[in-house]
Amino acid sequence: MSQESVAATDTVKQERLDTAGQKRTEAGRFTGKVREISGRVLPPAAAFLIGILLWQAVVMITGVPPYILPAPTDIAIAAAENAERLQTAVLSTMLSSVVGFIASVVLGIGAAVLMASSKMVERSLYPYAIILQTIPVVAIAPIIVIWFGSGLNAIMMIAFIIAFFPMVSNTLIGLNATEKNMKDLFHLYNASRWQVMWKLRFPAALPFIIGGMKISCTLAVIGAIVGEYIAGGSGGSGGLGYAITVAASRLQTPYLFTLGLSASVFGIVFFLTVNYFSSRLLRSWHDSELKQD
Amino acid sequence: MNTAVQTPVQMTLTGVGKVYANDTTALQNVNLEIRRGEFYSFVGPSGCGKSTIFKLIAGLSEPTSGSIEMNGEELSKEDIGFVFQNATLLPWRPVLDNVALPLELKGVGKKERREKAQEAVDLVGLSGYEESLPRELSGGMQMRVSIARALTARPKLLLMDEPFGALDEMTRQNLHFELLRIWQKTEMTVLFITHNVFESVFLSTKVAIMSAGPGRITKVHRIPDYERNERFRSSPEFSDWVGTISEELHQHEA
Repeated sequence: MSQESVAATDTVKQERLDTAGQKRTEAGRFTGKVREISGRVLPPAAAFLIGILLWQAVVMITGVPPYILPAPTDIAIAAAENAERLQTAVLSTMLSSVVGFIASVVLGIGAAVLMASSKMVERSLYPYAIILQTIPVVAIAPIIVIWFGSGLNAIMMIAFIIAFFPMVSNTLIGLNATEKNMKDLFHLYNASRWQVMWKLRFPAALPFIIGGMKISCTLAVIGAIVGEYIAGGSGGSGGLGYAITVAASRLQTPYLFTLGLSASVFGIVFFLTVNYFSSRLLRSWHDSELKQD
Repeated sequence: MNTAVQTPVQMTLTGVGKVYANDTTALQNVNLEIRRGEFYSFVGPSGCGKSTIFKLIAGLSEPTSGSIEMNGEELSKEDIGFVFQNATLLPWRPVLDNVALPLELKGVGKKERREKAQEAVDLVGLSGYEESLPRELSGGMQMRVSIARALTARPKLLLMDEPFGALDEMTRQNLHFELLRIWQKTEMTVLFITHNVFESVFLSTKVAIMSAGPGRITKVHRIPDYERNERFRSSPEFSDWVGTISEELHQHEA
């Protein structure tokens, strides 16, 4: 072995030691994380509980009628009494928003990839993608109802439209944000446009796409509920938005609260689900931990 | 090494000039003869057209005057490997897949490209790190991956554009030895851009000194065939060469 290669293997050994050292500190981080979570979760949970108790107390002391401000217990009772109706409403909204969301992800990414593949297509279509985004859905919802008929079709369509544009613009920004050095490298190695797109631009855009999904999933829920307001009347179950219009017209305030609360909880759960899967997806993108386990 | 014996000429640049569309002259009248297996460094201030020479040689742009001739075999784009200042690795790919990229883009089958990539990984001393992701590696190791990637397609010509510019001195010196070892083993021609005079003297068989405004080559030195080891770095010959080249660089600065 020549002197040079001895020196070389020495450095590799040294580097190997360095990475081993990094691993060791990861293990000790676990207890710190538990402490951090309890520090973060406990205070808001306590504040929530105190808030509910205060609310209950205020209603009981002042004697506000439940059709103005129901106490937390009234809301719980309304939920129990309408359990079946509530369930079908939630499930219906869930279906519309999930379908709308998935369609917006698939078609949004597709549209963005198409635009990013050709500057001409992008230049001619992108302005409209932005303009369409600014149209308030409520304003065009009746047209959609005329076209697709009242009921699930129209509701899904409205959920899709509102969730679609953030997907397009986020994906497009991601696809266009590829590092110049990397693009040069691909060109130097004679990569085809197809290869540049699927081996470089698309994987590099993943964090942006996931950012878009987080926005779109929340919007899809809003879209579904707005759709149900307008198009939920006929065609069976109705969904949360429709249930809200009905409860409002009958002045069932406690149930209205239940419905509003259910809509928020569903929105949050949906967001967290998307968040969970996307962070798992991203982890393989830039996180080593999962891969080695 | 084989520098004492004259190897065949691989490439001749005759009166090569490059004027960009905005009328800036990036290069003027460059005449070079690059022999096979040489380690050719280009030293000069920024804006002296070092990178432009590379682009012309790589065929990424055409000279506006003069000609570049390949002697003997035609060099295709596939015979050229590239290493840049930053490692430019795909962060979502483990080392082996990063190294295999040029072969993958060429359409080489999975088994063959993994075998070749593995050889390149072994060659740069990264065995055992095939499945690591770039961010788990130190800067020096990332640069090794980048070099392995350039070597995996077995280039006849390796273009290195300030590859060690962003590394600390220790890592840089270790990689110098590595690079020399690889260069001797593979017998490819290396063209190496740097602004580090020490580096150019230590590594090269020839050093081209460049100056800016307009970019041109002012002198080419042939560095004799010293044994390139730790002792050479502190030898009087080494400091003499560094002195000579630094002086010439400064002469043309004014």
